[in-house]
Amino acid sequence: MGYEHILVNVDTPVATITLNRPRVLNALSPELMREVNEALRTLESDETVRAAVLTGGPKVFAAGADIADMAERTAAEQLQRDQVGRWAGVSAFTKPLIAAVNGYALGGGCELALMCDMIIAGDNARFGQPEVNLGIIPGAGGTQRWPRTAGKFAAMETMLTGAQISARRAYELGLVNHVVPAEMSITVAQRIARQLSEKPPLALRFAKEAVLKAFETPMSEGLAAERRSFYFLFSTEDQKEGMRAFIEKRKGVFKGR
Amino acid sequence: MATEVDQQVKVENEAGVAWIRFNRPEKMNAIGSLTRTQLSDAIKTAERADSVRVVVLTGSGRAFSSGADVTEMSNDGGMHTPEEVGDILRNEYMPMLMRLRTMSKPVIAAMNGPAVGIGASFALACDIRVAVPEAYIMEAFINIGLAPDGGVSWLLPRLAGTGVAYEMFFTGKALQAADAHRLGVINRIVPAERLEEEVRDLATQLAAQPRQALGAAKRAVNHALDSTYEEAMQFESYLQEAQAGSQEFIEGVQAFLARRAKK
Repeated sequence: MGYEHILVNVDTPVATITLNRPRVLNALSPELMREVNEALRTLESDETVRAAVLTGGPKVFAAGADIADMAERTAAEQLQRDQVGRWAGVSAFTKPLIAAVNGYALGGGCELALMCDMIIAGDNARFGQPEVNLGIIPGAGGTQRWPRTAGKFAAMETMLTGAQISARRAYELGLVNHVVPAEMSITVAQRIARQLSEKPPLALRFAKEAVLKAFETPMSEGLAAERRSFYFLFSTEDQKEGMRAFIEKRKGVFKGR
Repeated sequence: MATEVDQQVKVENEAGVAWIRFNRPEKMNAIGSLTRTQLSDAIKTAERADSVRVVVLTGSGRAFSSGADVTEMSNDGGMHTPEEVGDILRNEYMPMLMRLRTMSKPVIAAMNGPAVGIGASFALACDIRVAVPEAYIMEAFINIGLAPDGGVSWLLPRLAGTGVAYEMFFTGKALQAADAHRLGVINRIVPAERLEEEVRDLATQLAAQPRQALGAAKRAVNHALDSTYEEAMQFESYLQEAQAGSQEFIEGVQAFLARRAKK
């Protein structure tokens, strides 16, 4: 399938989506995000793909939304276009999605990274939500995902001042999993994705769902859902294989059944 | 000529080496507002220029730099306000000092004389220091009721140890070149008449080294200084992977095996 604003590379079982508008620092235009969503939908139903990496390439992740495109729009237009609503496909992806972030991840770019399941940051990465400086606020989950990850005060500082933070600071805040040399971030993310690809897909899927549920539900409900999934997984072939392999001291081979 | 801009910082580029020189010998290279602007430009330009492989920071005349230009404060019509003092540190000195420490090329201080106050901060922010025997490092803040600044509270304890740093901060006494050399704060001491030659030799040698590997060494050290042992080794391992896939490594190994000079 041909995409104009992104590159999709499938090296089975790992897919890599690269935002590819380097001339505008990968500004997240509605068209680009439509393509990201479409690509993820395709990868979701491709059984040979077990995990995906989302990156902006070696220099920049994404320096925000397309300001030029938004500058003169009215509230009604924005509502009708529901630019941000179209990002839902990213959080609907049920397989592991790992962001490899180099350079700027600002505004929508930062929010896009925060929608992923893990973040591998290059040592040159910069995170921030500068929306306030433009008279708006983050619109793709920034105000909700930051406090749930980094806590209220770091989130407030980011939202209210619009200041950027370094990869190191993001690591200290628990916003990113690892800081690696920028030229290695995509490789490291792909390597983790490959490791995950060897794990039982259904267990990964339920684990991901359960963790995400922690942000959505009261503890008791989350625990109940976790328990249901835990019991359910005993109905899968992969659970039988996993435990048998453990007892036989060999590596399990999983089929996603 | 009245329109001619006062060159308080001079830059000469020769053979891959940018010589950035404090150029107010009549004021012992005191750093004023114009010096800061020119120095900031010089450091930025040197960092960005592909042709520059190594940066040397030095002074003209007898001093490396005597520190902040105190006379300028009164010429401007009064002292800086406390907030201005803080702003100059945060907005002007910090970016320059950070850039020296983190730019992906070696930065050498050729200490042609004393480095005092913020002048010492610049010398200590460099990667390597070569000094004349008459040089010294002094943090005289205490004498005028100020606290250490320009990054020396972080740098000096790491370079000289906490005890030496505290003694300097508490007494305002200078750390002489010989003592600094013994402590490893200064890498080499050479007579004044040979300083530039020695630094030129060192800079030229570094300019011929694989540049990406030089940058990697700086990134590794800077990352390590903020990390645990484990984090540092992990970062190193990835840096090494990147380097092991580089043309520099392939050429380095081939040259080594063929017993020839690197290209």
